[in-house]
Amino acid sequence: MPLYEVEKSVIVLDIGTSFTKFGFTSEPAPRSIYRTQVKSKGQIRELWDYRDAQDLYDMLVDFFHDIYFKYALNSPKDKPIVIVESLLCPIIFRETLAKVLYKHYGVSSILLLSSHLVSLAPLAIDTALVLDVGYKEAVCIPVCYGMPMIHAWQALNLGSQTIHKHLQMLLNEKNSGAQNLSEMTLEDIKVRCCFVTKKSRAQQLQTLKPQIEMCPEIKYPVKGSTTISVCGTTREKAYEILFDEDADHLCLPTMILDALMKVNIDLKHQLAENIVLIGGTTMAMGFKSRLKEELLCHSKEERYKKLNIKCFKFHTSPSKENYAAWLGGAIYGSTDCLNTKAIQRRNILKKRNYLIGRI
Amino acid sequence: MSAGIIDIDYVKYACTCGLLKTLQQLYFCRYCSELRCSFCVSHEVDSHFCGKCCENLPSPEARVKKNRCVNCFICPSCHHELSTRIASKQPATPEEAKATKRTYYLSCLCCRWSSRDIGLPDQTSATGSWPKRKTFMQDKEFFKRKQKEKIISYTDKTGITAASLRKRIGLPEDKPILKLKNAVKMVTPSIAQEDIDDFDEEVLTKSINLLEITSIDQRLLQPDVQPVEMNMIFPVQKMLSIKRSLRCRSCEHNVSKPEYNPNSIKFKIQLFAFYHIPEIRIVTVQPLRAGVPAELLIKFTNPTQHQTTISFLPFDTPIEIKESTAEVGGSKGEDDTSDLDKSLPLMKVIPSGAKVMALVDSHLNMSRSSARMVTPRPLDVSINCDVEIPSSTFILPPRDDAAEYDDFNEAHNIQDDKKLVIWRKSNKAFIKLIVTPKEDTSIGTVITAGFTMSHLYTNTITSVAENKKPQKFNHNIKLILDLGKSVGSE
Repeated sequence: MPLYEVEKSVIVLDIGTSFTKFGFTSEPAPRSIYRTQVKSKGQIRELWDYRDAQDLYDMLVDFFHDIYFKYALNSPKDKPIVIVESLLCPIIFRETLAKVLYKHYGVSSILLLSSHLVSLAPLAIDTALVLDVGYKEAVCIPVCYGMPMIHAWQALNLGSQTIHKHLQMLLNEKNSGAQNLSEMTLEDIKVRCCFVTKKSRAQQLQTLKPQIEMCPEIKYPVKGSTTISVCGTTREKAYEILFDEDADHLCLPTMILDALMKVNIDLKHQLAENIVLIGGTTMAMGFKSRLKEELLCHSKEERYKKLNIKCFKFHTSPSKENYAAWLGGAIYGSTDCLNTKAIQRRNILKKRNYLIGRI
Repeated sequence: MSAGIIDIDYVKYACTCGLLKTLQQLYFCRYCSELRCSFCVSHEVDSHFCGKCCENLPSPEARVKKNRCVNCFICPSCHHELSTRIASKQPATPEEAKATKRTYYLSCLCCRWSSRDIGLPDQTSATGSWPKRKTFMQDKEFFKRKQKEKIISYTDKTGITAASLRKRIGLPEDKPILKLKNAVKMVTPSIAQEDIDDFDEEVLTKSINLLEITSIDQRLLQPDVQPVEMNMIFPVQKMLSIKRSLRCRSCEHNVSKPEYNPNSIKFKIQLFAFYHIPEIRIVTVQPLRAGVPAELLIKFTNPTQHQTTISFLPFDTPIEIKESTAEVGGSKGEDDTSDLDKSLPLMKVIPSGAKVMALVDSHLNMSRSSARMVTPRPLDVSINCDVEIPSSTFILPPRDDAAEYDDFNEAHNIQDDKKLVIWRKSNKAFIKLIVTPKEDTSIGTVITAGFTMSHLYTNTITSVAENKKPQKFNHNIKLILDLGKSVGSE
């Protein structure tokens, strides 16, 4: 491939609460996935733990400095950028992000894409119920014929963070020395040892004397000196928090069913037969099959009788789930969308000056 | 930035953008005569290089190679750099020793992972021949190439194009190739499945070895594959690094530009504030008590080749931000920046009258450069100590490297205010200031004092360009001094 033929590639970014997915348009996988952290004033901070707009501005400046000069190795000036974000992204974050990119880095345009919508692009479908289970929360938004049904959105405070807390609690029950494990260690235990078990086994685990054979125990070394035991019940129960109904009788499967309740009757069956799971947490072993079991079980409940759905079908993404939304962004970014739908810097500046002039 | 002995953050300089930095972290744009810091300059990628083998690549080539070095790898297990090792296989017979060539493998000196762990065969050459993992993308390209190879064009050899041939024979014009290009290939939509089997029954009975399962960082190092098992990991090509050049946002001149060669740590352009702004260090301070005046000794050093005069102003002296017009230095003046600036009221004329600086409201200015200017923010500091501002000024002679080694040359013909200047030698002077911590400071609070330093700056940049005398003007900088904690009464 001659050098001059290389197309100008555009950065695609999916800033997740825990991990940021970074890559270029028209590539099948992100170049790197790394923690959404910023090193400011000698300490490492999570980007999403910002105090106010000014604090966020400073952190985002550092964050994008890393992206451009450590990962992309590109000057940001007068170049477009594609950002994949959740529809429920706070206004303050979005506005500060735009300020940093337009003002500080002088990008020519930003294409903002909704993560739920674009994650359908790799599957080449336009109607599906998208459930994004990330670090902080799980968000479910049905997408019908390329249009996210915002009125039917469901969000719950369920994600990796909840699992980590639950896991810590389970470990504390069995180990005296496991009081304060770092989030990273808990994440590692979760990733390497835990899995989503079957519903029948989960029900048995609820009882006082489970009539099942436990899965083997794992000795997990911590800091090289101590060992904590991750027993079979812990391994199976870590993810259970996602499927246990809370005080309002809500959990992951009911989110999907509640979302289905809110959409038009003609779409209910179609959406139930097109469920797309995105987000890193959905990559856990057994997650999909368990969710299906739970869905079937919950749909028989009195409150969901009206739905009358007997069959749930899931899509399998060609990519890993944790960067499914990013991949959608990379596909959208390589089309004409980038020129037509992106917000141009000159338009923003004009509008800003116009507004200032009015006041 | 330089750490250690010269990067002590007790004395901080307020950058034009309002951030507090040490002198070593600041730049000084000679064209705008303003302090700049890493936050308020624009960064640009200058050159790409590999941090391990120090090979530099032109940026288009780096882009083609996906910003990765061809020869260097990092360990997929611990992210450390892998080193190439010679395989030490003892030959069984002397004949074999002659026949066999040297072979190489990759090994991590940090965690002892080696390319043999995943069954990668040893290579006969040290660089360049390491097998790459077949990815989805590479497969696709392979198919494309295969398809292209099937259509063999004879017209190139004969010089007859298909179109001209058709005309000759009398066939109507046809555009089969164009049609093919325009036709959008429909993608087959994904079909949802009802039966999902992502649960492995084996996990319930089989005990697992933690060392065989990758951690999340090891998985994410290879985002496309995200291997779960340790024997699936693969050496990763090392990311390239860059050298950055820094540019002033208001006049677009470089304040720092490194040399191209990755081995060189020198700069082509380096406008560090360290070479232009007097350096201030705290020598000593008397114990600080609330409401009691204390003596503060600070040392001033003049780093420039020109004599300077330093005077003190109260901390809250407003510092005007100058917006330099585009024709400073005569480099450009073609765009509408200058016209726009002229149409706006000129609010300040710099003395010694060479250049007109317009104080332009940054909101009104639509020009390209100023739209990217960093709006100054208020200083994030609380001053809890009054500084008695001396009315007299003092002179700092130019820097003279030879004087550093001259112990006897104490003679200097400078008339000093003896109350202000305690001691001086070559380009350095000890200054005494009286500081009074505020009455209501409790014991143990950190005392912060601040004042504005006005120093006479000699700008030589325009004199070179236009054969004029170097212009001199007073440059004001706000300084914040961390004087340590207050103590109780004696």
